[in-house]
Amino acid sequence: MNTQENSSKLNDTALGLIGVIALFAIWEIVSYTGIISQEIFPSPSQAVTATLTTMPLSEIGGHVWASLTRVFWGFLIGGSLGIIVGVASGWYAWVGVLTRPLIELTRPIPPLAWIPMAIIWLGLGEPSKIFVISLGAFFPVVTSAYKGMISVDPVLLRAAQTMGLKGWRILFQVALPASLPDLATGIRIGWGLSFGMLVAAELVAANEGMGFMIMHARELGQVGIIIFGIVLIGVVNLVTDYAIGVVIRRQIGKWHTY
Amino acid sequence: MSKGLVRAKGGIVENIDHKLNSKPENMQKVSHNSVKISVENVSKIYQVADAEDVPVLKDVNIDIRNNEFVSLVGRSGCGKTTLLNILAGLVPPSSGIVRIDGTTVTGPGDGKGMVFQQHALFPWLTTIENVAFGCKSKGMRKADRTEIAMDLVKLVGLDGYQNHYPRELSGGMQQRVAIARALALDPEILLMDEPFGALDEMTRLEMQDELLRIWEVRKKTVVFVTHSLTEALVLSDRIFLMGRNPGGIRREFSVPFSRPRHRSSVEFLEMYEDIWAGL
Amino acid sequence: MNALFSLSTTTKSRLVGAVFIIFLLIAWEVAVDLKWLKIYKFPPPSKCWEAFVELFTSGFPIEQTVDIHIGWTLWRIVQGYVLGCLLAVPLGVVIGSYSLLDKLTAPIITFGRSVAALSLLPLVIFWFGTGEAPKIAIIAYGTFWAMIAHTIAGVKFVDPLLIRAARTLEADQKFIFLHVVIPAALPRIFVGARVALGVAFMVIVGAEMIGTIQGLGALINEARNFYRADITLIGMALIGLLGLGISGVLQLLERILLPWNKGLEEVRR
Repeated sequence: MNTQENSSKLNDTALGLIGVIALFAIWEIVSYTGIISQEIFPSPSQAVTATLTTMPLSEIGGHVWASLTRVFWGFLIGGSLGIIVGVASGWYAWVGVLTRPLIELTRPIPPLAWIPMAIIWLGLGEPSKIFVISLGAFFPVVTSAYKGMISVDPVLLRAAQTMGLKGWRILFQVALPASLPDLATGIRIGWGLSFGMLVAAELVAANEGMGFMIMHARELGQVGIIIFGIVLIGVVNLVTDYAIGVVIRRQIGKWHTY
Repeated sequence: MSKGLVRAKGGIVENIDHKLNSKPENMQKVSHNSVKISVENVSKIYQVADAEDVPVLKDVNIDIRNNEFVSLVGRSGCGKTTLLNILAGLVPPSSGIVRIDGTTVTGPGDGKGMVFQQHALFPWLTTIENVAFGCKSKGMRKADRTEIAMDLVKLVGLDGYQNHYPRELSGGMQQRVAIARALALDPEILLMDEPFGALDEMTRLEMQDELLRIWEVRKKTVVFVTHSLTEALVLSDRIFLMGRNPGGIRREFSVPFSRPRHRSSVEFLEMYEDIWAGL
Repeated sequence: MNALFSLSTTTKSRLVGAVFIIFLLIAWEVAVDLKWLKIYKFPPPSKCWEAFVELFTSGFPIEQTVDIHIGWTLWRIVQGYVLGCLLAVPLGVVIGSYSLLDKLTAPIITFGRSVAALSLLPLVIFWFGTGEAPKIAIIAYGTFWAMIAHTIAGVKFVDPLLIRAARTLEADQKFIFLHVVIPAALPRIFVGARVALGVAFMVIVGAEMIGTIQGLGALINEARNFYRADITLIGMALIGLLGLGISGVLQLLERILLPWNKGLEEVRR
């Protein structure tokens, strides 16, 4: 049974791989037939060669690293604030009464729309980028942390009480772990949104990072680098999201069924 | 002790001082003489916004003796779970007092273990961690609490499952863990809120026998809430029948049979019928 | 006083929340008045109100009144969104119906979704210049992937019991597809529609920051160029309101088109 499942999973992966290869092959072939000018839409191989001939690998790595550190800090700040505010508003009724309406009022504003305001407040430098990235993480995390807290099964809290736990100990030993599955979902969504904000922030104003890389390439008319960069951004997003997913499944998946 | 043997004559015995034939003389004395839990004039009224107050319990008076196994039986809405929560100290009574060994109950914990209907195990902890939870919160050293927990895991028959998470256990096994967890702080009182209510019939019967076996090993005063009269008859020394509107104790029965009890013996069924007829 | 006590707790807490927000607004006004906050960075509510009036009468930038901005933003969203849906739904139905196609395309679709739509901005500007086409193209792109993923899932995960039931009623393949598979997939497709709209809304704000002065995204960015934080704030509020309005309309549409799905929706919440 298990080996069967494994082999069918392997088959699926193989089919998926064939699909990806087929897509690239078609793209490559169409490009060579000249239906679409290669100046406008280069083939994958051309995009890669164009990038690697103009840009050393270390420079590409530098852009990836710059973007990753940026999104990491923004995510860390926004996510931690989201956890603190969300948990507090779910645990203490009065915090919820005060903060929920504020959050619900500001949540419909897409984080992107904060970019001009961030620039007014913090200038064109790094802080305004970190700010909008952190907003991307904050809203999903604060919402899921709050939801997780208010949906903790009250019987678990009562069980802890019958074992003599009170106050903070119930919060940290019972309510927080019980709300982790909800929180993890918010964290994953938050990472995705942070990443989206990162690209936007780097498009607007930056001198390094993957968003800058493609925006700069546009100014120079290097379409190969633009396409390479877009795929690179997608890959980095996919890989980091996958890594977070694996960590969540390892830690929470062993006791919780998603 | 062979199963299926009923050593006492059946029938309704409403005399609370009735002697339990099967128990050794000295043990009976203990259970007769000392009152463990006394419930005095307890009432509970729930206040609902935009509606009239709902009286859930009215003037409940019971005494439960040391190491006695008592059941609260009734339909849903008779306040049996509320009464149990009041005994546990989870819910304060609107009026009246609950005393344990003469001391007024003011809060949960403190020698009162509880088992809930939906096991209420912490899903992020393994079997052994769940059982050791109470000891850990009391600051007990890891080696000590693991030893205590492991003994209990063995007692409830889950040796080999100590590192499993709750979701990996069957319903019956989950309830075994819940019982072990409630016993870990070695409480003198065990409060059980329809602990087998969510189990299938076969498992339920099995768990009733298990509970009695565990109770024989670790003598406790048990207050057991159930809506099944059969279950109460199999388990308890005394049964309190509860009614609704307002919730309260309607009648009280002593169960004269020795344990283990056979669920389909004539005497057992007769008593079952008699109690129903008396309602 | 008595009337206050008789209110339910939710109404009371809402009241407290509202009072708190009003308090914050007043505190903000006072803080600017006392020069604790700089007025050009933190325009107080009174200044924002003036900006609001200005937007409705003379417009910002000059003669671009608020209806023009909202109109352009909506028009771009509609074009891109409809284009994306028209491409994604039929394709999604086909892919979801054939397991082989689904397996072949699964990684491509996962990847397509994880490419941030905005990262396409340099490419579409390179292709189409800075006019309308690039904006519509990236909205369509964002809509497309969210829509196709949900459509495939909707068609793929139709309860097999429903199909078996239809078979026992002697329905043929085509009938089952049209009358069982498609309706059963609709709730998921609607979820996709909602997600896609969120994406489209997010993208348009970014897209409008480049190469135009019309549209809400352009409004807040232009206001920033002129250091008009008051206008930016009003623009942000309008964006939020518009987003709420659009998702409200979509929910209403869903309730009208799928009345049978209401119960299920409630359970899921």
